[in-house]
Amino acid sequence: MLNMQIELVKQLFRRTFTNRFPSKRIPKSVSGFLRSVERGERKMNPPVPVPPGFRGRINYDKKKCIGCRLCVKVCPADAVVFLEKEKKIRYHLFRCTFCGQCVDVCPTKALQTTNEFLLADYEKD
Amino acid sequence: MRKAGDIIGQESRDTYSICVGPVHPALKEPVRLNLRVRGERIEHVDFELSQVHRGIEWMGTRRNPIQILYLSERICGICNICHTFAFCRAVESIAGIEVPPRARYIRTIVAELERIHSHILWAGVAAHELGFDSAMHYAFRAREKVLDVIENLTGNRIMKAIMMIGGVRRDMDKGQARLVMEAADFYSRCSRKLEKIFLGDPVIKSRTRDTGILTRHDCLALCSVGPTARASGVRKDVRQDEPYGAYPDVGVKAMTPDEITGETRGDVYDRIAVRLREIKQSADIIGRCVKDMPEGKIAHEDKANVLLGELRGVQGEGIGRHEAPRGEVFHYVKLVGEEAPYSWKVRAPTYNNLLSWIPMMLGAQIADIPVIAASIDPCMSCTNRAVVTGPGRRQVLGQDMLHDLSVKRTRELRRGLRP
Amino acid sequence: MIEGLLLRTALVPIIACAGILLGLLYRGLDRVLVARMQSRVGPPVTQPFRDVKKLLLKENIVPRDAVGWIFNSVPVIALSVTVLILLYLPFIGMEPVLEGHGDLILVIYLLLIPSLALVLGGFSSGSTYATVGAQREMVTMMSYEFPLAVASVSIAWIISAANPGIAAFSLGAIAMNPAWAAVGPLGLLGLALLLLTMLAVMPGELGVAPFDVAEAETEIAGGVLVEYSGRNLAMFYLADAVKAVVLGTIVIALFLPWGIAGSLGITGMAAVAADAIFYLVKLFIVIFVGSIFIRAAIARFRITQVVKAYWGYATFVSLLGLLLISLDMLSRLL
Repeated sequence: MLNMQIELVKQLFRRTFTNRFPSKRIPKSVSGFLRSVERGERKMNPPVPVPPGFRGRINYDKKKCIGCRLCVKVCPADAVVFLEKEKKIRYHLFRCTFCGQCVDVCPTKALQTTNEFLLADYEKD
Repeated sequence: MRKAGDIIGQESRDTYSICVGPVHPALKEPVRLNLRVRGERIEHVDFELSQVHRGIEWMGTRRNPIQILYLSERICGICNICHTFAFCRAVESIAGIEVPPRARYIRTIVAELERIHSHILWAGVAAHELGFDSAMHYAFRAREKVLDVIENLTGNRIMKAIMMIGGVRRDMDKGQARLVMEAADFYSRCSRKLEKIFLGDPVIKSRTRDTGILTRHDCLALCSVGPTARASGVRKDVRQDEPYGAYPDVGVKAMTPDEITGETRGDVYDRIAVRLREIKQSADIIGRCVKDMPEGKIAHEDKANVLLGELRGVQGEGIGRHEAPRGEVFHYVKLVGEEAPYSWKVRAPTYNNLLSWIPMMLGAQIADIPVIAASIDPCMSCTNRAVVTGPGRRQVLGQDMLHDLSVKRTRELRRGLRP
Repeated sequence: MIEGLLLRTALVPIIACAGILLGLLYRGLDRVLVARMQSRVGPPVTQPFRDVKKLLLKENIVPRDAVGWIFNSVPVIALSVTVLILLYLPFIGMEPVLEGHGDLILVIYLLLIPSLALVLGGFSSGSTYATVGAQREMVTMMSYEFPLAVASVSIAWIISAANPGIAAFSLGAIAMNPAWAAVGPLGLLGLALLLLTMLAVMPGELGVAPFDVAEAETEIAGGVLVEYSGRNLAMFYLADAVKAVVLGTIVIALFLPWGIAGSLGITGMAAVAADAIFYLVKLFIVIFVGSIFIRAAIARFRITQVVKAYWGYATFVSLLGLLLISLDMLSRLL
């Protein structure tokens, strides 16, 4: 009995659990805030660090690509489109579901996952 | 087309109808409940499904099995391993692929981590439905750790994408094994603490005891599955009845409320008890799996293109079952030697459990609707698949219509109009 | 006489503004503290001010099925009556503005009006959810009225017995003569029980969890307020915020009327300021116990449980308190 109530009183005097990312209060414009962080005007509370092997934005190295089309075949979301003329691919970030299957299948490691996850945007490109 | 008034039954002077949903704060996903109420007491219940039909099965028949893996994850956000697990088992049974022991253990660990995460999330939602937001925030905070472990293990917090036909995609190293062990210990303790908070709270007890009773008889008649069935005293668990993965080595026993509270009433309180105790059960399973983890390969075939080629060569039908946090999930797949499967049918546990809303809600109060609705842990997007839409019409496929359509289709086939 | 009247008239808008500002400030504290108890950061303390500002800018939507004139007039009634009650109370340690024109009985009746306004608003908005909410609000209202009356009348009785000839129901008189000093040990216990009753009635009056059955977001989607928006909703919101101050002030006047200036030996303007600050602290403690903590710590009751809690437990406790006080009185007479 009263476990939760005791816990509430304890929590009242403890630090909050919330990670105050990117700042304590939500800024008026998030992208404006991020730009001012880049310029070094304001400080950002860092996000929770991602573990190794995190599946973030996928990096495409055009030079290494041999145009084998394996990634096109396994991609569940049509995020990888094959360009017939160049024998290369185009990677659409906004369609990507970040499963990392194309990275696993790529024979030349032209596709690599990165740790980036702050990818939300208004523009589709 | 039926009108809402027809379903609810006879209008009378001292009863009135309330419509809960498709958009309502008590519902996390769209479903519509039509209720006939006298004062605060519910006299008639009906519900309408299919507000979130997405045509996933149809999409599946235009993709190769590896693409379907990720599609099946998107059937349900919370239980994304379950659908993939069941789909993999279905395809493996067709192709006769033997899953290496280490992969089976990793699959089991991830599936159980997911069960912990899902049950704690559910506990939070149930607390919110009872108007107890403090307990909700406590539960959600407790859930963070398992998400961190899942992220470390699979590379993402919710969408795990670790399953592969014939194995898993990522191995578990020593450091990760230690993390998982720590999490298992943490959740053994956490389950006890949550039990104290939820089962020991006098107000929660008074709100949930003898609320939404599903008798053993009703439960068997309506084919309820998962914790909903177990809380009514039916010892039903795919992990126990037809063990797969690492479950045969671990030995799972279905959890019923008489082991926790000493009696089985089949009410909301029992369902809370069963789910919270299953967190501990899952933590124990994870501990065993990490300890007994065999060495060896983690996948039947590493190269996705080779695997796809192999699957293109097989024909046949297969089923895959898995005990999801909500109950048994069932996948049927038919391969005909082509890239994409000929047929893919998913039956999610909520489909079985939904009907049990009716005996639960009859005679309850309006105040009990949210918690009863939440007590089966419904997942609408898992369930909604049979909708026909077209310009100017929107129908739910009922039994009659399905029958008519089947007859029509059979005639067409006989006449040889369609292949 | 005329000057006194003018002064009082001048005080009315000041008290109204102070009441509203204080109400919103405590509402902001409520949100921050509940968030902290739940280990969250929560909104800034100024959030309620922003909410009200935004609501006032928003469009006022009247549903097609609503009875327009009732629907639009009840928020005004709710807010104005709640502010009116403040004028009868010793607000911020001052003598009530309308001292001598109304007493505790009037205040208890006036307290009904905001709830009645909510009920009317709910019934007139033509939504099933609002109707269910209005029914629940009515039932809640009827349930907490009796323990509230018992608690207040007992206090007046004690004071009239201790000071013969005084206007016992006058809030000024009650605030001047603490009831605790007028009773023996049995009476003290009885008073403590009455205080408990008052604190239990507070969340019901304010409509916060566990007695927020009339609004019950997850059950009936906001209940009585489901159809309200814009300015009307802002007025109900303000009325709610002021009501917290009103109830806190009533509890303070009845049970914790002491000032701090006398015991610290401060005089003049400093004494008024010290008393005002002490009042704010007392108000915070009362609201914290009677609303903020209870709101975070208990799940919502069913309407049947609300009735049971008030007609059963709260009434029992208040009558027990009354009985103890009577015994105390009797023992003195003998």
